[in-house]
Parts: sequence; structure tokens; C-alpha cells
Amino acid sequence: MATRDAVLGYGAAGAVFLALWEAAPRLGWIDGRLLPPFSDVVAALGAMAATATFWQQVQLTLLETLTAFVIALPVGALLGVLVQESRFASLVFKPLIFFVFSIPKSIFLPIFILILGIAFWQKVAFGIFSTVFIVMMTTFSAVESVREDQLRVARSLDASTMQKILFVYLPSMTPVLLEAVRVAMIFNFTGILLAEMYASREGIGNAIGVWGLGFQIKELLAMVLFVSVLAIGFNEAIRYVEAKCEHWRN
Amino acid sequence: MPRMSQATASIRKPHGATMSVVGPDHPAADAGKTLEVRDLNHTYNVNGKTTQALKDIAFNVSAGRFLSIVGPSGCGKSSLLMMLAGLLTPSDGTIAVGGRPLTKPDPTRVGVVFQDASLFPWLTARRNVEFPLFLRGVDKAVRREKAEEALALVGLERFADSLPHELSGGMKQRVSIARGLVQDPPILLMDEPFAALDEQTRITMGDELLRIWEKARKTIVFVTHGLSEAIYLSDEVLVLSGRPGRILDRVVIDLPRPRSLEMMAQPRFAELREAIWHMIKA
Ligand SMILES: Nc1ncnc2c1ncn2[C@@H]1O[C@H](COP(=O)(O)OP(=O)(O)O)[C@@H](O)[C@H]1O
Ligand SMILES: [Mg+2]
Repeated sequence: MATRDAVLGYGAAGAVFLALWEAAPRLGWIDGRLLPPFSDVVAALGAMAATATFWQQVQLTLLETLTAFVIALPVGALLGVLVQESRFASLVFKPLIFFVFSIPKSIFLPIFILILGIAFWQKVAFGIFSTVFIVMMTTFSAVESVREDQLRVARSLDASTMQKILFVYLPSMTPVLLEAVRVAMIFNFTGILLAEMYASREGIGNAIGVWGLGFQIKELLAMVLFVSVLAIGFNEAIRYVEAKCEHWRN
Repeated sequence: MPRMSQATASIRKPHGATMSVVGPDHPAADAGKTLEVRDLNHTYNVNGKTTQALKDIAFNVSAGRFLSIVGPSGCGKSSLLMMLAGLLTPSDGTIAVGGRPLTKPDPTRVGVVFQDASLFPWLTARRNVEFPLFLRGVDKAVRREKAEEALALVGLERFADSLPHELSGGMKQRVSIARGLVQDPPILLMDEPFAALDEQTRITMGDELLRIWEKARKTIVFVTHGLSEAIYLSDEVLVLSGRPGRILDRVVIDLPRPRSLEMMAQPRFAELREAIWHMIKA
């Protein structure tokens, strides 16, 4: 079976990667101070996970991330639908949104700090700002993916506007919206971590920043490993659901 | 093998003796004019550019008849059907179904089957068929029963739980027919429903449709650009001219029923086909 082979393939590649990571510093191919062996990093992660501070940091960052996400996603999707469905708004706002999208969001971070300080809502606001444009852009294509013939069927059945939105637009847009969710989360997480790294006294991003400056590579890599697993886990979970409704797209 | 029993055949009204032009009253009209179209004109107006699509369309269809509409591409067949479905408001003229005017979609009076089956890919065949009832807020048990009935009618009861992408083109179109029939409307409108299918499937689906029609006893208005298909299936064929579409004639197909593929080789079939072809070409 194809998926089984793929899983085996990934597993094998992962194992080779980790084996190299373990061997390279131990055999002196790489300076162990720059890249400690994998097992040391895992041990460091284990030690960290035993502390309350670690979980406080993780909790805070996840709370910021989720707060920004649950705001940015519906707001971006709604704005996306409204802009796409209105000819006037399409004409006026679409180019603007495309322009803003192409600017790296990180250069605005100092402005957010100036206005909002360095506490919780600054990070959430920056997370939303990093996310909302990609959600809008994906929603444009999601609306376009709603098929005219399916809408016509709904009309021929005398469906109300609400029924059309709930039972045709929404399910129709779901595959593309899931993609939006997945990609948006990457942007969102990046925004939050960046904000924490740049100006914060707490959170995962801050911890990574502090360890980097203090040359605590083992802890740093342990956190990187943790964040990677988290991000990949989320991404793959959504991709799994996406694959389930792949046949909705024609 | 003839699919229609003798009993059913004898219930069917005799076909009109001779063909006639746009007569408001057809000989078979006693069963009630299911569909009445009066003085229909339609002009599209897009960005100041006007296109007259239909001109002086008037006809009636009596209950239980199978009427095809043929005409060259772009002559307004789809536009006409959209109007009969209440999906498009004619510039001028009236449409009545069951004696009451039709001004907006009403799936309890008119079921529609489109060229592409247009099923919702996220719903199973059963749920696609249930969908019209679901929109009306019909009770779940009733919904299920009606959908099952409709699926059985089109011979797909075994595929109730399949998703559209697991079905063949012909099967999808049968689900779409079941969806059109699930509210038991007196009229079923079909816009080139088999045009996207391969030749073999198209012929099978034609026979299948006739079987469903015999059983469900609906009035069918069937748009096609295939003359043979129209003659093979219909009691009458409405012939439209090129744009703007006008009714050139209404041809009664006096071939006996049940129809069979061999009839296509009969001289009468060729005669009818020739006659219609000449009208369209002129
Ligand atoms: N929505 C529309 N807007 C403008 N013109 C249209 C529209 N739909 C159809 N037409 C025009 O009306 C004419 C009839 O089209 P249609 O009803 O689709 O014909 P048919 O189904 O017989 O091919 C064509 O010239 C077509 O270009
Ligand atoms: Mg057409």
C-alpha cells in the first residue's frame, strides 16, 4: 500500500537523520558545543519538562497562539468572503491586501510594541496581523472554488440565503479553508514566537532567545525540537482531514 | 426486452393523430395542462449589449407527456428551461404549472436535472437525494423513506451510501434524477442530462429514463441537441429555430411504445428525423 510505504520511507529517513545527529558530535565531525548529540538534547528536554516553568512558558505561548488564531481565522475568512463577493470591494481592497501581504510582517513588530507594550495582547495582535492576510487570500480562492452549478441546484430547490451559505458555500469551501487553517497556523505561530523573542519576559520564544544569547545550546535545541513536533503534529493533523475531503474539489 | 407492461401501456393516452403547430390545446390535453407557456420573450442585457434569446414562445404540455425541445446550439433551449424552473425571469410572458403561475423555483411542482449531475460531493447519494426535503425541514424518518423510494426507482438502492466520486457518470445522473423526483413534482425538467456521457451510457440512460418515466408517470420536458435521442424518447418534439429561438413546429412522434433500439432503423424514424433536420437547417 502506498501510504504504508510512505510511512516506512519517512521513518527510515527520520532514523538516518537522528542517527547522524547522534553520531556527528560524538565522532567529532561537528563541535559538540554547537550541536550536542540527539540523546543529550532529549535528556535536556526531559529535564525541562519536569519543571513548572517550562509548562508555564508553553501554556502562555499556546494561549497567545490560539487566541490570535481564533480571532484571525473567522475575521480573515469573513472579510475574505465579503471582499470576494462584492465587486466594488474586490476592486478597491484586493490589490491593497495583496500589497500588504507581500511586505514582511516582522518589520512592523517595533510599532506594535510601541503601541501595545510587551504583554499578552501585543503578541496576540501581532499574531493576528501576521495571519489575517494569508487567511483572506486563501478565502478568495475558497469562494472561487464554490461551483456555479451547485449553487444553481440550491437555487432550483428554493434554498434560502442562509441555507445556501451553510449547506453549499461552507462545505464547498472547506477543503480550501482547511488549507488556510494549516498555512495560517504557521504564519500565526511564527508571529507569536517572533514577538516573544523580540520583546518579552516570558513564553517559548523568549526562552529560545535567552538560551541563544546565553549559549545554552542543549536547552535551545530541546525547545526547538518541542516546537517542531508541535507544529508538525498540527500541520499533519489538518493535512489528514484535508486528504479526507480531497474529492470535494473537482 | 420491453420494459413496459401491457397494462401500463393501455393506460397511456393515445398520441395526437397528426402533428400540429403551436396549438394551445393538444388532443391529449384532457388530463389537465400541467405546463402552460404564454407569449414568452426573452432578451439578455449584459453591459448594454442585448441578445434576444427567445421569441414568441407558447406551448402547453399535458400531464404525463414526454416532450423534447430541440434546436441549434445557442437558440435558447437552456434559457427556456431555466425559466420553466423558475430560475430565470422572462422579459415577457407567463408560465403556469398545474394552473398556477410559476415565478420562482418550486421543487414541489418542478424538479430539475442539469447537464452535469451537480451532486454535492460531500454528501452520500442518499443525502444528496434527501437534500431538497432537508431544506424544507421534512422529518428525518420521512426524508429517509422518500429518498430510499426515489433511489429504488432509479435502481440505485445499493449505492445509497456511496459518495458521488465513487459513482460512474451515468449513476451520478441517476442520483440527480432521484433528487429531482424526491418531492414528487408533476414535472421533471432535464437540460441535456446525458450530453456529458459516452454514447453507450447515453443509450442505456435513455432506456432507463423511459422506464422511470413509465413508472413515476411524470411530465418530462427534455432539452437535447440530439435529434435521434429526442425522437427515441419523446411523445412530441418542440423544434426551435436558431437565435432568437422561435417554435418552428411541434412534431408528434407516432412510434409505438415501448420504444426499442431497432426502431431507430425503421423508415418512420428516419422520416421524422429528416423532417426535423430540414426544419432546423432551413
Ligand atoms: N446569462 C446570460 N447572459 C447573457 N446572454 C446569455 C446568457 N445565457 C445565455 N445567453 C445567450 O442566450 C442565447 C441562448 O443561450 P442558451 O439558452 O444557453 O442556448 P442553448 O441552451 O440552446 O444552447 C445564447 O446566444 C447565449 O449566448
Ligand atoms: Mg444549453
